[in-house]
Order: sequence, then structure tokens, then C-alpha cells
Amino acid sequence: MIAAQAGVLFLGVLIWWAVSTQVPADGVPSPVETSGALVALAATGPFWLAVWETVQTFLIGILICIIVGVPVGLAIGRSRLATQSTRLSFDFLRTIPPIAILPLVLLLYGPTPTMVLVMVVLGAIWPIVIQSVYAANQTEPQLDDMARAFQISGWRRITTIFIPGVLPFVLTGLRVGTTICLLLTITGELLGGAPGIGSSIITAQESLNNPQMYAYVVVAALLGLIVNVGFWAAQRRVLHWHPSFRGEGQK
Amino acid sequence: MTTTSATQSAPSGASGEDRPELAAVGLGHGYGDNEVLGSIDFAVARGEFVCLVGPSGVGKSTLLRCLAGLQLPRRGSVQVKGVDMKAPVWGVAVVFQDYSRSLMPWSTVIDNVALPLVAAGTKKKDARVAVLEALEQVGLTRDAAEKYPWQLSGGMQQRVAIARALAYKPSVVLMDEPFASVDAQTRADLEDLMRELQRELDITVVLVTHDIDEAVYLSDRVVVLSGSPASVAEIVPIDLPRERDQITTKATPAFADARARIYGLIRRVPVDTHE
Amino acid sequence: MNARRLRAFGLELWLPVVLVAVWWFASAGSTSPYFPSLQSILAQFASDWLSPSATRNLLPSLELLASGYAIAVIVGGAVGVLLGTVRALEEATRPLLEILRAIPGVAVLPLFIVLLGIELPMKIALIAFGCVWPVLLNTIDGVRGIEPLLLDVAKSYKIGAARRLTSIILPGASPQIFAGARTALAIAIIIMVVAETVGGTGGIGYFLLTAERNFAITSMWGAIVALGLLGYILNILFRLLEGGVLRWHRLLQSRLEAQL
Repeated sequence: MIAAQAGVLFLGVLIWWAVSTQVPADGVPSPVETSGALVALAATGPFWLAVWETVQTFLIGILICIIVGVPVGLAIGRSRLATQSTRLSFDFLRTIPPIAILPLVLLLYGPTPTMVLVMVVLGAIWPIVIQSVYAANQTEPQLDDMARAFQISGWRRITTIFIPGVLPFVLTGLRVGTTICLLLTITGELLGGAPGIGSSIITAQESLNNPQMYAYVVVAALLGLIVNVGFWAAQRRVLHWHPSFRGEGQK
Repeated sequence: MTTTSATQSAPSGASGEDRPELAAVGLGHGYGDNEVLGSIDFAVARGEFVCLVGPSGVGKSTLLRCLAGLQLPRRGSVQVKGVDMKAPVWGVAVVFQDYSRSLMPWSTVIDNVALPLVAAGTKKKDARVAVLEALEQVGLTRDAAEKYPWQLSGGMQQRVAIARALAYKPSVVLMDEPFASVDAQTRADLEDLMRELQRELDITVVLVTHDIDEAVYLSDRVVVLSGSPASVAEIVPIDLPRERDQITTKATPAFADARARIYGLIRRVPVDTHE
Repeated sequence: MNARRLRAFGLELWLPVVLVAVWWFASAGSTSPYFPSLQSILAQFASDWLSPSATRNLLPSLELLASGYAIAVIVGGAVGVLLGTVRALEEATRPLLEILRAIPGVAVLPLFIVLLGIELPMKIALIAFGCVWPVLLNTIDGVRGIEPLLLDVAKSYKIGAARRLTSIILPGASPQIFAGARTALAIAIIIMVVAETVGGTGGIGYFLLTAERNFAITSMWGAIVALGLLGYILNILFRLLEGGVLRWHRLLQSRLEAQL
């Protein structure tokens, strides 16, 4: 199977190469040119600075979303009254395309990482909050009964029963949140001009350095891949007991 | 619907000076306008095995939740050794109906069983000893202790739930349809296990079931619930020897008599089931 | 029953009402250039977006969004069914799919410009590329999650491939397909705005960024409100459609929950 997978990947690169030879005037650099540009870039400081800016904004953004969104969501979900009261508001806020506020934050903060960060947090926090509310609603009533019957309370009840129980749902929200977070980070840089991979793509494009532009797009894809794979691995580790991960690695 | 006859009878095996281990006194409960339990009175003596039977929808589980202190009744009270129960108390352990939902899938068997002890402040080492002892009592190996509940069969999972109750060193164990979701052979094994443990450890067991044969086989006395709202139709003493056997005991005339009597009690009163 | 529904309704509504009221009164008589009063924003919104001429900016956006989104759903669904049915193919292409999916949709904008120019085809392709992945991956999961017994039943009754697709595979996978399509919708709107910032004029995204560049702050706020409402309305429409198609799923779900 690995051979087949490698074959398909190779086929993909081959198609890219075929396209690059057909498009006139250096429109599409070949895979070789692109990797050459990438290697050259990797030796420069500005490249790593741009990558670092993007990674930093992404990480801080998702961290703020988690630290604020998860506890708020869980607290709201524990109360029926609070759940009902906030449902419509959250629903509306969730559906506002986060990019709508890009011009506003651009006016307020200029083309800075802060600008991107504000937009990222305001855009990515809603799926996390909403899934956390849902999670706290979905706790197993029989485990609640069990905890009461055996007089398990306070901190221990939270850490051994409540948190593991809500984790699968919270992580579902986090998964959507991270995807949106990365997309918005790159978008904010690309459209708003804040330093990072996004604006580097534009700079390369404006200086008509297509191989370099492609190299940056490849870096963006790699970053996305690392985030996805990392998330999946973390999820499997934390939720090894969950039906969706059971049995894996057992045989 | 008559709140009845056979209620305040003193439990047969109670020694005179002792208060009953567990008692329902004029207990009534309902949800909204729907009265589920009318007025329930019965008492369970120390070391007794009592089953609550009744048609489905009669409110058996509600009654058990009240006895466990998980729900405050609307009327009347539950008394543990003569003291009104306001919340779950130490010494009363519960085995829930659905092992797949009452065991934590994210914790190993040993952690599941240890949790109530650790929460009560038992040292980790002591808890481990108590847990392994309880697992041995229910017939689980050291090997199973390190597994996750969902890696075990249904019958073994229910044994884990029973071990969790035993490790708590309870004087009373409440069980809500504990064998409803296992196959017939496993069910017979678990029934025998419960009787054996109850005598060996000298604990009081109150078990809810809809299965009349199971109730007769297990019990010293059977509390028959019927009507809507439910009340105690009768408390049937079971005249069977202490040593019981799935085949021979169930073939005795005494067994057949008790079963026929309880069938009659449940059938007599028309019940509108809510299912 | 009616009183209870009224109560639930009131419970859901009070917070949005309070929030809007707070915004209204806190911003009334505002002198901040960046935060005009809600009153003036709404007035601007009405004149920009509720007048007959508003269609000039609204229609191109909707057209663009609908075309790109439709392509994504159709292609994602079709390829998803194919990969979901042929397991070997799915496993072989998985790494490539994961890489393509990981590309943030907007990052390929310059690339698409080189390949397809700056006009409508490029914009449609960008939206389709950006939001096809959630549909595709969810469809694969949905098709693979179909109860194998049902497929055995279909085989034993000699039900043909076409009918198997329409009667078993698509309906069976539809809850997952809809979940993917919902995520795709949110992404599609983001990319639509990005796409509208290049090339020809017109569209909400174009209007929004032009307003910002011209420091027409009240117009910009009006466009933010318009975009927010557009997102919300599209979501409600989506939910209505989903509710109709997935009626059986909702009933089954609530039944399962009642049994717990």
C-alpha cells in the first residue's frame, strides 16, 4: 500500500511537472525549480522569520481560543438557562464570515500580527465555544449518578469524570477551530499585509519570482499538513479509549 | 391502587433491638403531574436479600434512585438505620443497570473500581489492595484489572461494576436490573455470584428486576409493586433453603408456589404501562 | 405547552436584544471615527444594501459563491463516493489528498491568477478548490460508514449499481455529506471575499475593502453587517434544506436519545 501511495504522490508531482512545461512564459515553475527556490530560501533569515511569524500568530491565536472558549463553553453548557440564552447569539456570531471584520481590525491595528491575531481569535473561537457547550450537555447521566452515589465530588469529579467525558466533543470543535485558525492567519497576512507566509507569497508574486511564490505555497501546505497530522496524533493519544480509536495498534 | 395491607410487617430475620438497615417510609414520588409512586412502605433487615419486582413502567427504577439518595422523594422518606437520608451516604453502594454507561471508558478496570475509594481519601496503596481483593471476589483476574472495561465481555464488565460496589465496603448494595443486558448463562453465573457474596460478606442487597424467576431465586423476600401510582401489593416471603441451585431449586414446589403467587399479584391489578 | 414555547422563545431572544440595545446606546453620538453610531450604520446599510441598486454588488457575489460552492459539492460528492466505495483507491490517494487539503485555500490565489487570470473562472475555481475538501473527506467517511448489512441486502435482492447509489449509498452517507457541506459553506464565503479583492469590480468583498481603503467607515460597517446577515441567512437556508432531506436522521437521533 505504501508503494501505491508513493506512486500516487509521484504521479501528482509528474502532473505538476507536465503542466509547468505546457504553460508559457514561466507561469508555473517546475517541481525542480520550486524545490530549488525552497532550498535557497531555507538558507535565508527572512524566510524563517516569516514562517515564525505565521506559526506564532497561529499558536497564540489557537491558545487564546482554547483558554477562553473551552471553559466559557463548558460553563454555559452546564446550565440549561445559559445554554438557551446564548444559543441564538452564538449561532449568529458563528455564521458571520470572520473575514468581514478584516477591514475594521486593519484600521484599528494596521498590518501587524496583532491585527491578524484579533481576527483569528474572533473567527476561530465560535466552533470551539459551541462544541464545548454541546459537550457539557452530553455528559453521561449514569456517570453523574455514579459519582453522586459513591460521593465523588469537587476537583476529583471534574478531573476523572467530567473532563474525560467532554473531551471527545471539545476536540471536535478544536479540530474545526485549528483549521479555521490557520486559514485565517494566512488570509490575514495575505490580504492585510501583516508579516508572515501569506504576505511573503504576495511579495514573491509582485517581484515576479514565481518559483519563490510556489515555494511559499508549498511551505503553507506543509504547515497545514503538520497541524493536521499533529492534531490527529494528539487526538489519538488522548482519546485512545474512545470508540473511534479503539482497536488501533492493538494487533 | 389501595395502599395496603402487607406493608409495615417487621422483616423476618431482624433481630429485635436493631433498626432496619434500610426502609422506605410512606415514600411517594412523581414527575410533573405524573404520580409514579403512591405510598411505599417496606423495611429491609441487615443481611437480607430483597428483590423489588413489578411490571415495566411501574416506577421500580425511580424507587431505587430514591433508596440510593440520588433523588429526594416528594413524600415520606428513606431511612438508613433509622436516620433520614437526604443525600447518598457512605455505606450504600449502587450497581447501575447499564455497565457500558456507568463504567468510565477512559479508565482501566482498576482505576474504575478504585475511584470511589481514592475519592474518599484512601491511600493509593491501600486502595489497590482493596480493589484487587474485590476483583478477586467477583472472579476477575489480575490480567483483567489492567484492561479497559470495553475490552471485556458484557458479563465481565458487570462484574467490574459489582467489584466497584464491593470495594466500597458497603453494608447495603442497591442494584438496578443488573443482569438485564447479559446472556442467559452469564446471568445465571452472576446471580449465583451475588448470592454467594451477599452471604460471605454479610451485606444487605436490594435488587430491582422485572424477572419474577430471578427475584424468587435470589431473594429472602420479594416486594411486589403494582398499580399506578405504584404501591406495595404484597411482600412475599420466599421459603427456600439458603443453599440454592439454578436447576434443583427452581424445580422445587416452593419455588413454583412463590412464582405463581407473584405472577398472580402482578396480573391482578391492571396497570397502564407507559411504554 | 404554548406558555412553555413562549418562555423558550423569550429565553433565546433576550440576549441578542440586549446586545443590540447596548451597541445602540453605547455608540449613540459616538465621535470615534472607527466606531460610528449603530443608527448611522443601519441607515447606511439600508441605503447601500436594501436599495434596488444594491443588486449590483450583491448579485455577482451570490453568483460567484453559488457556482464555486456547487462545483465543490458536486465534485467532492462524486469523487467521495468513488473513493469511499473503492477502498484501495482511497488508501492509495490518501496522502496526496491530505497534502492538497492542508493547503490553506487562499494561499493558492496568486497561483490561480497565473494559471487562470483574474476574472470569473479563476474566482470560481478558487472557491471550489478551497472548499471541496471537507465535502470530499466527509463523503468518503460517510460512504465507508454505511452499514455493510444494508449493502449485503442490496446485493442479495440484486439491486443494480445506479439504484444502490441513489437508494442506499447517498442517503446513508447524507448526514456526513451535509456536515461537510456546512463547513464548506463557511470556507466558501471567506474565499469569496478574498477572490473579490482582485480583478473586476463588484461584489460584497470588493465593496468592503474599497470602503476601508477610502475611509468610508460607515459604509464599511454597513458591509460588515451585510456580510454577517448573508452568512446567517445562507446558514438558515442550509439548515432548512438539511432538515428536509435528513428528516429520518433527525427522528432517529431524537429516538436514540430518548432511549438513553
